[in-house]
Amino acid sequence: MSEEKRTSIEESLWAQKDTAETAARLSRSISDSVRRELPKGLPEPQFKRLKKELLASLEKEMALESRRVIRLFLDEEEAQQKHLEKRRKRKVLFEESVERISVNQRAQHMILLTCTVLLIITGLPIKFHEAPAAEFIIHLLGGPNITRILHRIGAIGLTLVGVYHLWYCMAFEEGRRNFGLLLPSPRDLKNFLQQMGYYLGLKKDRPLFDRFSYIEKFDYWAVYWGMVVMITSGYILWFMETAINQFGKVAYDIAREAHSDEGLLATLAIIIWHFYNVHFNPKKFPGSLTWWHGRIPIEEFREEHPLEYERWLEAQKQEETELEQEPDGIRGDPLGSGGEENPEGGKSS
Amino acid sequence: MTRSLFKPLALEAAFVLLGMTWLVTPLPVRAQEDIRCLTCHGKPGFEKTLPSGKKLELFVDPMRLRLSVHKDRKCVDCHADVTEVPHPEIPQKVNCGRCHFLGNSVGAPQLQRYIEYGTSVHGKALAEGNPKAPVCQDCHGDHFILPGSDARSQVNHKSIPQTCGGCHLEIYAQYQESVHGQALIKGVKDAPVCTNCHGEHNILKPQDKTSTVNPGTVVNTCSKCHSKVVIMEKYGVKAEQVATYRESFHGIANEFGMLKAANCASCHTAHQIFPEQDPRSTVNSRNIPLTCGKCHPGANANFAQGRIHLNPKDKSAGIVYWVALGFKVLTLSTLAGLLIHIALDLYRRFKNRKQPGEKKEVEVAEKSQ
Repeated sequence: MSEEKRTSIEESLWAQKDTAETAARLSRSISDSVRRELPKGLPEPQFKRLKKELLASLEKEMALESRRVIRLFLDEEEAQQKHLEKRRKRKVLFEESVERISVNQRAQHMILLTCTVLLIITGLPIKFHEAPAAEFIIHLLGGPNITRILHRIGAIGLTLVGVYHLWYCMAFEEGRRNFGLLLPSPRDLKNFLQQMGYYLGLKKDRPLFDRFSYIEKFDYWAVYWGMVVMITSGYILWFMETAINQFGKVAYDIAREAHSDEGLLATLAIIIWHFYNVHFNPKKFPGSLTWWHGRIPIEEFREEHPLEYERWLEAQKQEETELEQEPDGIRGDPLGSGGEENPEGGKSS
Repeated sequence: MTRSLFKPLALEAAFVLLGMTWLVTPLPVRAQEDIRCLTCHGKPGFEKTLPSGKKLELFVDPMRLRLSVHKDRKCVDCHADVTEVPHPEIPQKVNCGRCHFLGNSVGAPQLQRYIEYGTSVHGKALAEGNPKAPVCQDCHGDHFILPGSDARSQVNHKSIPQTCGGCHLEIYAQYQESVHGQALIKGVKDAPVCTNCHGEHNILKPQDKTSTVNPGTVVNTCSKCHSKVVIMEKYGVKAEQVATYRESFHGIANEFGMLKAANCASCHTAHQIFPEQDPRSTVNSRNIPLTCGKCHPGANANFAQGRIHLNPKDKSAGIVYWVALGFKVLTLSTLAGLLIHIALDLYRRFKNRKQPGEKKEVEVAEKSQ
């Protein structure tokens, strides 16, 4: 990267002093080997021949060997550099970011994501069955019998994560707090209007968002609506005999239509809206990794969720003062490490 | 030329004139040979009692033969094993393949479909030595073979059910009662007969994947007529039934090769097809629980409520139409809103990039400190 001073073979002392020393050591080790192998010596002509062969082979071996060693050395060096770079990035990540999404929330998102992808790839080919790609996907996955089962596995996963989420929103302190913050409020309308004004150049400032902007609230409640529609209609279709016997064929017909249409709407909303907000948006491209490590860069935090950021900063300051007040206060990690092993510091950067 | 004049005449009159024609036929040798055969076989009532006691009719109506497609053939062209009179042995059954092979010199038609007979269910039965297996004559007749387009032909559209029914008695009876059979009796030219669904020479078992009545192919076979608005509107049947089936889970599963899913015949049966209002119909509302129950155990009368072939795009679908419409509006408006929001966001971002005086970040930073 930076213009370091590079040493070439001509500049090194190799050609002069090192060579002489190496040659001396080499000749000593060769004479040792000869002495050990041929304690009685050899007649003059044979000895001459041996000497010639020995030198030829040594020359060849040494050229090859030195090249191998150089390459090995370079590979190792590169790996080391990469490792250091990774460590540096990790350190930056941990030092300059905050854990905003808890492990529990990330796990819920992961299961939801997996199930949704599974449901989409096994479900959409049924809606668009005339498309050549539909048949390709169905047969790639092992035929309609297999995709049927896969779709139902996805359905069970989705139901379970949905039920768990309801429980999480009621039974967990974290869940209750977040759910409260996710409830729509008049402030969202105000923020939305402000945002529109900002987009159109009518307002100078962007709205100040709390933990969840109206964009994120929309995402959340869209999933809520989608889950209710998809799960209800899905189980009517799954247990259609019972459903028709109990509620009439019209229940099945409505479920069929709703499942198909809401499936497409949800897919499009994910691909267009959610992917734009977390992947394709120029600021996030090619994608934020918050869903994986739960962390958000402080810079981004301050910009996108200023109200939450302020609260967080307040809490940090309070914590610090509390720590300082303690007599032999060990300064805790001000960022609160999220259960991941601490990056080794000091060595690099 | 002269012979064509006879066609519209009554059989008796033709029979008398035949003798005269015969006299002027410029092929005395051929006539002579046939006359030798007709000496006995031309007598009405000429028959032989077999050792089993069964009477074998041996009378050949020479007039009918002369009206058939084989009018120029001599008796021995087909009955090649007949060399002596009286015949020392009972002559063999005629083998049509003597002339009807590819590249024959006498100009007998030979198309791919005759070869298909060999791989058909009938041809295979014959090859296995089944004495009841039908051969050419069983369907096409013997001395009175006419092209299928001829109304008198045994293989004419309206005569086919009778011809096939000669062996397939039970199915013939079922078919005749069905809506298709009744239509044929009434002279409807579009009414499907056996061969329209099963094929002619290439008839295969329904279990055979390439059969036209295999679960995997039968939908295409029925839709040859039932998806055609021009045909269907004549008889007050909806052509969209095919499309609605293909959109149903049954149709989609069938399309992807899941053949246990219901196809047309699963619900409507193959031969006992009746209009929905007919109490004999398997899709009559009284019978629907039973019909659906074949695959959906425990199906009750609710299965018969509403339409099975439902088209959500049609207003007659009732509430489902409104649900579909509602989702359409919801999807389009949501997506339009989201896309506009994205477009505005991008617009602002690119504009800000051009004028990098981003005040708001500084302000926010100041506020928070």
